[in-house]
Amino acid sequence: MALKLFSRRRSNDQAAADRHGQYEGLGLPPTFESFQPASLPTLDHDALKRAFQQGRYCAILRDQHQWKDSPQFAFVVSEVHRELEQRMALVPAGTVSIAQTLSAQPGDSEEDIAVEAFLLDIHCVTNARFQHFVDAGGYDMLEHWPEEIWPHLIELEDLTGQPGPRFWRQGRHDVRLAEHPVVGISWYEAQAYSLWIGQHLPKEAEWQMAASWHLHSSTNLVRRFPWGDAMNKKRCNIWGSRIGGTVPASAFPNGAAPNHVLQLVGNVWEWTDTEYSITDGNNRPIVGEMPMHVVRGGAFDTYFEFQATSQFRTGQLALARTHNTGFRCAMNLADANWINGG
Amino acid sequence: MATATYTRSATMPCLICEQKNSLEAVVCNTCGAPMALIQEAVAQDRDPCIVTVVGDSNVGKTVYLGMLLDMLSNRADDFEAVPKGAYSVNLQHSVVSHLSMRQFPPKTAMEVDDWHWAYYQVRRRKRTTDTYDLVMPDMAGEAIAAEVANPKTFKVIRSLLEKSAGAILLVDGALAAAGSPQPDFFALKLMSYLDGVIATRGEKKLTTPVAVVLSKGDYCPEVFDDPRSFAQSNLNRLWNICESRFANYEFFATSVVGALAYGSDEYDNVVPYPLHIAPRGVIEPFEWVLTKLQGDCKRR
Repeated sequence: MALKLFSRRRSNDQAAADRHGQYEGLGLPPTFESFQPASLPTLDHDALKRAFQQGRYCAILRDQHQWKDSPQFAFVVSEVHRELEQRMALVPAGTVSIAQTLSAQPGDSEEDIAVEAFLLDIHCVTNARFQHFVDAGGYDMLEHWPEEIWPHLIELEDLTGQPGPRFWRQGRHDVRLAEHPVVGISWYEAQAYSLWIGQHLPKEAEWQMAASWHLHSSTNLVRRFPWGDAMNKKRCNIWGSRIGGTVPASAFPNGAAPNHVLQLVGNVWEWTDTEYSITDGNNRPIVGEMPMHVVRGGAFDTYFEFQATSQFRTGQLALARTHNTGFRCAMNLADANWINGG
Repeated sequence: MATATYTRSATMPCLICEQKNSLEAVVCNTCGAPMALIQEAVAQDRDPCIVTVVGDSNVGKTVYLGMLLDMLSNRADDFEAVPKGAYSVNLQHSVVSHLSMRQFPPKTAMEVDDWHWAYYQVRRRKRTTDTYDLVMPDMAGEAIAAEVANPKTFKVIRSLLEKSAGAILLVDGALAAAGSPQPDFFALKLMSYLDGVIATRGEKKLTTPVAVVLSKGDYCPEVFDDPRSFAQSNLNRLWNICESRFANYEFFATSVVGALAYGSDEYDNVVPYPLHIAPRGVIEPFEWVLTKLQGDCKRR
């Protein structure tokens, strides 16, 4: 069941395409008076089925030895493959150039990084998907959190003091934002979720490869945007798109990369696995007050269009839980052995 | 000052301090304000409203005002803002140019003739036909502090505040959140000064609308959750004087920078770098002040 590498699947959201990607965002998080908590989902008692319902597809594949005696095992695994085929896309191998200076002027220092082919989530992680992690007690699963963050776990709470993303209440997301990217999460929360589902945050070079599509070819073509080289505010959600908040993670299908990955530019900044390291024009380091990680892609409030390109790199404090930063997950191709019939 | 009273004369009154200047004067010889303001007002045949952005040094007035004007020029929130005179664009040009290069604009100079002045016509494109003529100067925080500490040191500031139809008071939300009393004390002094400058009868509260804006919200995102409660908890002196002496005030939070990092220069001085720009809460205080402006500011 190989992933269709270069297929351009028709968007299921034809109505959205007809509107040229125009969406009404719900803006910033709802006020307390208008908050509508998502209901508690009903999950199967069987652990394997429950893991599937929680979206832990790669964890199921990773821990197959744990499930192989289950009578549902073969069926669930085939369903996992089907889900991953739909939810992930192949990013081919290539090379990216990562600017090493803040100004990133022509002639400034760059690092060329070869990127192997890998799998990337088509959508950012949504509130609905992240809810499973919260409901499963993810904030208490210390195995998914680096030891240096354990004393700070108690600070990672929502507006009502429950473990969860910053803008949630009583450990629940607003049901109207179920399909919007989850925001208000630190790098550590993004990483913990990705480990829980058996995936990982993309490295910065992987993210840039997915957005710029700089293949190993004779053309040496680098896209400024996933869809091409010209900014088009009808293909993404940035400040100039005049939406003023996040939109569903499946919005703007006309802004997809060639492999159908959506919203690499705009809507929310995306955490990567890479620590942010940058210098000024005189090779002096520029650092944050605390460790920073690279975020890429721009968000709904990105004012300068050039800060929402495939090459623009910036950082955010690893513990920052901002209203405009989310994430998506990646997977090593070596772990996707079913692609080659393995 | 009424432009209607100005007729053919060898002198022209300054828009701010109303002192007479020669027709060839570029800046007022009394207060230093540009004479282009009165020339524009005469051309528009009406007095503009003055909305002052005030605050302590390094609180972010220049960045806030520059971003506000640029966002209005970009028709944010259905606003239409037209600069009157090329000089009106200098501030937003400087701020946007610096921020786009991941730098902060230089500190505003103390000298009045080095300040940026913006004269804009602003209206809401769809909601109303009202048009506001606004003058919004970018003043040096140190000059404001000097005037507050020793009144009449900077007459132009006094004249501006006397004439202000509305004010936007920026307060360093990050410092306040960190427990520093400095923002609270400065704001208290400034509001007290404003109380003394704008004369009222007896115990009547001042009606000039004042938007108190907690700046640098990127440092402390909690200020956005409930600016009023934040101010009451962390800027209690300011809160109390607002409640006692002002009839029209509201609290807001704002940030322009999405993330901040630090480097050093050749002298080992710490240099802050705005890594990316994500304006938040910039338009709302201005919009609120606009709704509170009196009828004289509007043309229909």
